This record gives sequence, structure tokens and C-alpha cells, in this order.
Amino acid sequence: MSTPILETPKGVGDEVVRGDHRLRRILANQQFILLVVLTALIIFFATRNSLFFTTSEFSNLITDFSGLILIAAAETFVITSGGIDLAVGSTSAVAGVVGAFAMQGLLNGHMNEMGVLLIGTLVCAGVGVVAGIVSSVLITKFMLVPFVATLITFSAGAGLALVFSKGAPIGYNPNAITWSATGLGMFTWLAIIVIAIALTLGLLLHFTRYGRYNFAIGSNSFAARVAGINVQRHIASVYVLSGALAGLTGMFFYIRGGSGAPTTGVTNSANLQAIAAVVIGGASLTGGVGRYTGTLLGAAILTVVTDGLIFINVPPTWIQVVVAGLIAVATILQSIRPAMKREQ
Amino acid sequence: MTTERKPVLELRGISKSYGSVRALTDVDFTAYAGEVIGLVGDNGAGKSSLIKVISGVYSPDAGQLFVDGIERHWKSPHDSMLAGIETLYQDSGLAPDLSIGSNIFLGREKMRKGILGSFGVIDQTAMEREALKHLEKVGITLVAGKRTVSQLSGGQRQAVAIGRAVAWAEHVIILDEPTNHLGARQSNEVLKVIESAREHGLCVLFISHTLPHVLQVSDRIIVLRLGKVVRDSPTTDYTVESLLGAITGLNEASAT
Repeated sequence: MSTPILETPKGVGDEVVRGDHRLRRILANQQFILLVVLTALIIFFATRNSLFFTTSEFSNLITDFSGLILIAAAETFVITSGGIDLAVGSTSAVAGVVGAFAMQGLLNGHMNEMGVLLIGTLVCAGVGVVAGIVSSVLITKFMLVPFVATLITFSAGAGLALVFSKGAPIGYNPNAITWSATGLGMFTWLAIIVIAIALTLGLLLHFTRYGRYNFAIGSNSFAARVAGINVQRHIASVYVLSGALAGLTGMFFYIRGGSGAPTTGVTNSANLQAIAAVVIGGASLTGGVGRYTGTLLGAAILTVVTDGLIFINVPPTWIQVVVAGLIAVATILQSIRPAMKREQ
Repeated sequence: MTTERKPVLELRGISKSYGSVRALTDVDFTAYAGEVIGLVGDNGAGKSSLIKVISGVYSPDAGQLFVDGIERHWKSPHDSMLAGIETLYQDSGLAPDLSIGSNIFLGREKMRKGILGSFGVIDQTAMEREALKHLEKVGITLVAGKRTVSQLSGGQRQAVAIGRAVAWAEHVIILDEPTNHLGARQSNEVLKVIESAREHGLCVLFISHTLPHVLQVSDRIIVLRLGKVVRDSPTTDYTVESLLGAITGLNEASAT
């Protein structure tokens, strides 16, 4: 009964795991390449400026990384589900501003400092959720493509952040800045919390049914639908999750900067940085393909390059150009790799 | 041979229109377990409409549908799945970037036991392992369940899709053009899987334009023309010529 009626095509899948092919497989592995690139970059910057390889600079790096990783994580979910979210940067700005207003009020009411930060975190996440719901409704009810829908949310968020704040940072809170510098060794408490959230999201993406549905929908939404998956509901939830994470990023920048700045995340194109981290990490913009570790490495590489170039006195104006080159190399490498696989 | 058994699928007076276009008119048929039924007809004869009514993509305007003796009204394709009907859509029912195991279990993921499971953690190793067992049951041997569907050949993909349908179907599997775009050898492999599904006591509805395949594998052939069942007879009653005649209606006079 179980006679092998379908013969395995040569060289697909099985062969590469055998013997001498194993090395080739590792070398063709995107994550491995990224790890090598990251290590090489750190070594490069350390040899150019010995101060780069110090605890305090690494602490800075890790904290900068934390500012990118939540929206990069959000973008990983969105992109692997076959969409894109342009709104994350401006959502973090408007969430930071609204959260700052709330916290200013509570501080004036002499509420306990930690309590204020906790409530502020909830307010920021809540604003993010609202932004996510707006994107979700535009995509699933009005059938707009995610690019357009989130462009609308992006513009609205960027505009509202300025309207609410009248263009000025809201609610100076020096205690938040002081707290942001405390921590364990080179890890600030802020970084520890953010990285813990980020790692949990990685588990969600790769080990749970939610993550499986995410990839299935990104790979073939028709197949997902006929398998009984509620595709529209899942898509909606992904943009809400993305909004919440962008809101938390707004809180992150509030704590770091000690106020709600209306242009943080907008002027530095945080949305594009997050997308860049995901793309460098090997995810396909058509959906269905991507690894969370790739995003983590992509975000780390972007952070090291951005900080490192400043460290070796490259004018900040050039940094964008270098990042552009990085994205180009990463995506071109990816387009070459499938061809390599086929040839084996 | 099947008259005294209870039908596993029964359609009575099914009609379906799209606006002013009448796609199905008063379609009756019964299908039994362990039977392969060829469903043939020209383009526009109503084959697609009929399978979409059976699989719950469309609701009929009139008529009744019974599965295993119970009348059913589908609200979505998922309802028909839960009732034991699996439909294989023309090579688009798989997620190419997911592994074979993930595809076989798509929408029916096995969860880890205990606390991890309640957090929604899936048991990937068990799924990969059991997926291969499911496939072997219908005679499909693939080396690794971890491979993604995009790494498989066209015939293998089709086999995985059919294997999934057979694995989950309790009563009926509907195969819409499963041998389309396949070479002769691969088509034969797919036909063998259909035969194996029959041996497992499933009812197979096999829709195809390739009449030799239909004649080779089915026990009975139902011919649709302009939305009506024009002939429903055991395969042995047909020749290629009489089947073609029934489909086109050209030798209507001589056939009846």
C-alpha cells in the first residue's frame, strides 16, 4: 500500500542536508550571513575607535536597539502576513504626545512616579491600538490595500501629533530620564523590558497557532480561508498588534527623552527603518517568508551601523546613504540565494 | 451494487442562478461510500457551480443537500469541512511557504499538551510526523515533512493536497481537475491516490476535462450539460465516443 509512488526530485530539500552539502547550506543561510556581518561591523568600528567596544557604548547601542525592535517586531508580523504598516513611526509620536499629556496631568496631581509611568504606558499602548483599529477597518472593511490604508493612518498620526502638541515637546519629566539610565550592567531596565517583550513576540510568531496562521495567510490567503482560518479577523488583529507596539515605542521615547516629542519616529522615518530591519532580516515583502531572528539581526545591524558611523565621525547626513546600501546588498543577496538553491 | 446502501451524499432538486443566468437546474444525484464518481461536462455546464454548492462556497437557490442522511445548509466552506467533506481546489489550496506537515494540519493544528498548549503553542514535531503517516496511508511517500511545499514538484504538491483531503475527509472528497497541468506519469500517481481513497471507503467526486482519466478511475460518470444532469450511468456503460456525445449533446438521439 505504501509503495513510494512519488519519487523525490533530485537535489531539493533532502540532498542539501547531507554530508558536504551541510556547509553550503549553512553558508547560504541568511541568519548566518547576518550574524557574520554584524560581528564584522562591531569589529570594524572597534578597531577604528577603541571607545566603541566599551560597556557604556554597548549600553547605548542596546538601548537604541530597543527603540527600533518593537516596531520592527510589529513590521515582521505585518509583512509576513502579506501586508505593510507605514504608520508605526507616526503612531509612536502621537501615542507619546497623548501619553505625555496624561502623565503630565497625573504628575501635577502628585501621583507616585512609577504609577504614572505604568498608566502612561497603558495610555500609549491604547492610542496605538486605536491607530491600529483605524488601519484594520480601512483594510478589512473598506478593502484598501495595506500600503494606502496605513499611509492614511501615518499621515493622520503625524498630523495629530503636531496638532495636539502644537509642535512642542509635552511634559518634561527629568525623573523618567534618570530612571532610563538605571539597570543591570550594560542593560538598562528599559532595554530589559523591551527585549523581553520582543522575545515573547518571537515565540508568538514561530511557535503558536497565531503565528502559523500569520504565515499561512501571507503565503496563500485563499488556502488559509478554505482551511477554515478567519483571514479578515487575523489581518485586523495584526494591525492592532502593530499599533500597540508602536504605542509602546512612543512610551519608550518618552522615558528616554523625558517628554512626548511630536516628531520622534516621524522625522527619522522610523517606519522605514523598521521595514528595512525586516527586509535585511530576510523576510519577503510578498508575505509568507521571514524569520524573527532575521529581524532581530537586521535591527541590530542597522543600530550598529547608525551608531558606529557617528562614533567614527562620519557626518550624520551620510548615514542614510550607507543604510540604503545595506538594504540594497541584503535584498540583492536574497534574490541571488533562491537561484543558488535551484542549482544545487 | 450500491442501491441497498445508505447514500453518503445526496442532492435533491438543486438549482442555482446568478442573476438571470441559470447555472444549475433541478440537479439530483446520490453518492455512496467507496465510490469514485466522475463529474464531466463542457465549460459552463455547471460543474464548478455544483461543487461549490456541495462544498459550501455558494448556497443553492432551491433543493436539499444530505450528508450521511442528514440535511445540511452550509454557511461557509468551513461548515462542509466539519461535516466530513474535503474539497481540493485547483492547486491553490496549499500555502507554498509552509512545510508539508504544516499544510496537512492547516486550520487543524495540533497543540502542545498542558500549559504551553493553552498559550497556543503548536506541536510541530508531532504534526510533521503524523503528516507523513497520513500521506503514506494513501500511498504517498515523501522523505521529509519539514520541506516546504514550494520545494516540491507539481505532482507532489497535488499529492500532498489530495493526501490532506483524504486524511481529513470522513465522507466525501471533491477533486477539481486534480490532473490538470500534470505529466502522464504524475497524473497516474494522482489517479492511484484516488483509487486508494476509494479503498479507504471515501466517496470521491472527480471533476476533469481529461476523459481518459475519468474513464480509467471512476465507477460512475455523471454528465452535466447546461446545468442539468443529462446522464448518470456506471462507467462500463460509456465509451469515449458516447461520453463525448453526452457532453456535447451531438448524438442525443442515438444515445436515448
